[in-house]
Amino acid sequence: MKKVYYDSIVVGAGHAGCESALALSRLGNKTLLLTLNLDAIAFLACNPSIGGTAKGHLVCEIDALGGEMGKNTDETLIQKRMLNRGKGPAVYSLRAQADKQKYHSRMKRVLEEQENLTLKQSEVTKILCRKGKVIGVKTAMGETFIAKSVVISTGVYLKSKIIIGEYTKNSGPNGFAPANQLTKSLIDLGLEVRRFKTGTPARINGKTIDFSELEVQYGEDDIQNFSFLTTKKTKNQSVCYLTYTNSKTHEVILNNLSRAPLYSGIIKGTGPRYCPSIEDKIVRFKDKERHQIFLEPEGLDTNEFYIQGVSTSLPYDVQEEMYHTIKGLEHSSIMRNAYAIEYDCINPLELYPTLESKKIKGLFFAGQVNGTSGYEEAGAQGIIAGINANAYNHNKEMLILKRNQAYIGVLIDDLVTKGTNEPYRMMTSRAEYRLYLRQDNADIRLTEIGRKIGLVDDERYKIYKSKMLKLNKAKEKLKIKIKLDNKLKNFLKNNNENIPSQSLTVYDLIKRNNIDAFKINDEFGIFKSFNNDIINSINIEVKYEGYLKQQEDDIKKLEKEESLVISEDIDFFSIKGLRLEARQKLDKIKPKTISQASRISGVSPADISVLIIYLKLRQNGKN
Amino acid sequence: MKTIVAVSTPIGVGAISIVRMSGDDSLNIAGKVFSCKENIEPRKVILGTFHYKEINEKCLLVYFKAPHSYTGEDIIEFQCHGGEFLTKEVLKALIECGAVLAENGEFTKRAFLNGKVSLDSAEGIIDVINANSEAEIKAGFNLMSGKLLNKVKSLQNIITDEIANIDMTLDYPEHDDEAETLNHTEKQIIKVKEEIEKLLNTASTGKLIKTGINATIIGKPNVGKSSILNALLGEDRAIVTDIAGTTRDIITESIVYKNVKINFIDTAGIRDSDNVVEKIGIDRTKRAIQSSDIVLLVLDSSNDLTEEDEELLKLTKDKKRIIILNKIDKKNVLSLKDRHILVSAKNNENIEDIKEAIYQEFQTGTIDTSGLILTNVRHIEALSKANEICKNILDNCKNSTADIVSFMLKELWAELGKITGETETESIVDAIFSKFCLGK
Repeated sequence: MKKVYYDSIVVGAGHAGCESALALSRLGNKTLLLTLNLDAIAFLACNPSIGGTAKGHLVCEIDALGGEMGKNTDETLIQKRMLNRGKGPAVYSLRAQADKQKYHSRMKRVLEEQENLTLKQSEVTKILCRKGKVIGVKTAMGETFIAKSVVISTGVYLKSKIIIGEYTKNSGPNGFAPANQLTKSLIDLGLEVRRFKTGTPARINGKTIDFSELEVQYGEDDIQNFSFLTTKKTKNQSVCYLTYTNSKTHEVILNNLSRAPLYSGIIKGTGPRYCPSIEDKIVRFKDKERHQIFLEPEGLDTNEFYIQGVSTSLPYDVQEEMYHTIKGLEHSSIMRNAYAIEYDCINPLELYPTLESKKIKGLFFAGQVNGTSGYEEAGAQGIIAGINANAYNHNKEMLILKRNQAYIGVLIDDLVTKGTNEPYRMMTSRAEYRLYLRQDNADIRLTEIGRKIGLVDDERYKIYKSKMLKLNKAKEKLKIKIKLDNKLKNFLKNNNENIPSQSLTVYDLIKRNNIDAFKINDEFGIFKSFNNDIINSINIEVKYEGYLKQQEDDIKKLEKEESLVISEDIDFFSIKGLRLEARQKLDKIKPKTISQASRISGVSPADISVLIIYLKLRQNGKN
Repeated sequence: MKTIVAVSTPIGVGAISIVRMSGDDSLNIAGKVFSCKENIEPRKVILGTFHYKEINEKCLLVYFKAPHSYTGEDIIEFQCHGGEFLTKEVLKALIECGAVLAENGEFTKRAFLNGKVSLDSAEGIIDVINANSEAEIKAGFNLMSGKLLNKVKSLQNIITDEIANIDMTLDYPEHDDEAETLNHTEKQIIKVKEEIEKLLNTASTGKLIKTGINATIIGKPNVGKSSILNALLGEDRAIVTDIAGTTRDIITESIVYKNVKINFIDTAGIRDSDNVVEKIGIDRTKRAIQSSDIVLLVLDSSNDLTEEDEELLKLTKDKKRIIILNKIDKKNVLSLKDRHILVSAKNNENIEDIKEAIYQEFQTGTIDTSGLILTNVRHIEALSKANEICKNILDNCKNSTADIVSFMLKELWAELGKITGETETESIVDAIFSKFCLGK
């Protein structure tokens, strides 16, 4: 049989697979990207949007490391907003409506153009291993591809089944074919496979929607881009609309609950709590009189609208009745029905924080196959899996981002330390260092890391360096003293601030509650040679100084614990003094550091003390 | 590693107590409280004064320099006078200066980690650590700590709800109601703060129940302090004469009044000098005032106020005090604006009123033995910090953005977690999901 040799193979070309394959090939690995269907590359299978709370952060981080998602969004978005204005810069979140087709086709083009990357449509059915190491994959057609490392990023396609009321079909999202054989190969390798569920609402023809009475949501101009590389201003080219469910909608749903697969027992997979179907919302939150619905355009070349907030697996006739009760949708016609989808995924506790399998060397997993949900979460894991498959190929140190470095670090640490019993969504409240992990400083946090790895090219690095230079120059301006003349007095008075007895520095002024760096610039032109991003960063750093310092202290404490490394060959069952539950949990999760071990549920502080003592003992014994 | 501190001798027993510190910062912290810091030398016993806020105590200090110490770190030991109150004050002072209270067995653990204890004892130490965690679990069933645990947990739950509320508006902007959320938070934190303060108030009650109320009797010589003491005690203890300065030693005697123990301390008149301040033994009196819970200031009702009286009135004006006008059996010439009790020690007149007045001063609803009483330094420390954070939140709620308020709430939660032992952030995420209707 003919064998074809690569450095790395990536299975699946969704949001995780694309980032993995690009990272690998950009780092010089001869890479093969296999997908069930070339038309499903970077497909936005659910809502036509990128970003949002915590997700916007992830996109900026992927970008800072040298990934593609941010650029792809900037290039194909049709509306952009900054969420959470007024709630503090730590939680400012970019969110964009992307043109679904353009998002896909631009990413496909980027892959096609990429040096070292081979893109091919073929279904992988088997992972080939020898002596605990991955050696390649086999496809349904019988091809054999050999590689040092393999990244599995199969999304929701493993044995996927869609459900619309009583109707079920073995199918991937949007009618794409499922991958029915690969699950068995994973099980044969000894991996724990589980079944999760998610869902998507209907797509409705905009021509049949009455927008006249609906609240319009416009995009915002002049806000930052997802990619630190994008210099042009992106244009808002479309709007979204807001409507609500009502008592009639709820009545239709309640009358048909017996036909809802979620309650009739047809759906067996575990769904996400944060993204419940409309029937789930109405049953669980009986008191709520109405639920919010956003109508989002799927693109500029189509009339299709995505009905955000009403994903469902109710039968097609109930769907129609239900949508027709909603203001604006009274006479609407459904183009694609809402459906629930069940799929196989692995237990992420099978993985090291590098995303490499604990059982098979060189085999990496990324994206929804790890039990996450969301394009951004997938992309984030994708780039890390790609970076670490490259490290594996070249016997280099793998990258583990810490919880205090990036949302990506929080995401992966949560997955491999705590596991997840439902599709995992990133949220800002999961990040204990939220004040520090912001969109605006993603490049400051991660670009040097990306540069060291080799993913940050000269252009990006130059932009980063010049930003740092400007930031330092802008910081110098903080020391400028502003004379206490009538101009300053009036400025303070107009902003309801007390007038001091002597002149103030720019720094003192920014510290005032009702004043910020932008207002000072408008009045005194202090930062006139800097762009808004720089002024914003300066403003945040001064305003949040005390809190950031406090978090920094916490981070330092954590770092000390992170430095206590637990080597892989430790047999937790042989450690006297550990409780049985702790032994089992530690053995299963195999934490890499004391800090990670302390985050495992079921491992007590006393267990950690025992572990520290044991590690010290071993160290002393070796010396 | 942090510098740790603990009382190494059994509390409340013995004439001296040893308070021991271990860690890099030991010497530095000792320097802040020890008068003869320049004399500190390894392995030498140094006599000096432990001076911090109201504490002013002669003590011995021993310094063991790393690695030649039990733990292998810098160790400082203070040997001071015994007694629960003073020992705890010394401990508290060292904590305020930067040390943290040691976990059970932590000195031994450090000794082990630094290779000061042989390998053979390793298992023994593991047992100690495990035993401690077991003991903590058992302590949870203890009525008193169980009550505290439940109380603090209920406060944590309120905070969790508020964090969840705020974080929900942050993570799900489409379900926004920020202004309302922050208003609600403010109201809830006011409640939490009140509860914490109530708990903290019981801390002094806890002490009073254990050790009693220290009531110091002061006054210029020959004003009748000892007579009053005798009347209070109902027996002749101190020698009473007409010659000023008869009583040379401090006398402490206790009674139990309405189930509350009251310790009377008679500060004897010391007059070795013509200087007014010296005459009334100002230093000693000052110290006595500081270390007491309430002061009984005795004045002579048969004479006008002297310079000495004025001085004492000034000294005690910010302290809990009861002014006693003695010698009403003689002519009554003194009139005083401040609230006072008229007594005659000689005729045993109105002496019970003094006891009742003392009792009333500590009866502002705080002595309630059926409720919760704080006695653990660790708990008091955590609650005091929590109280400060509450204040900070309330001061800043109006001017801060939601991300900052959420940050402070988490800090508050974690501080209370030091009492309940909970540190899981997942509970907040769960709260968000269980309470709100979300969707995309």
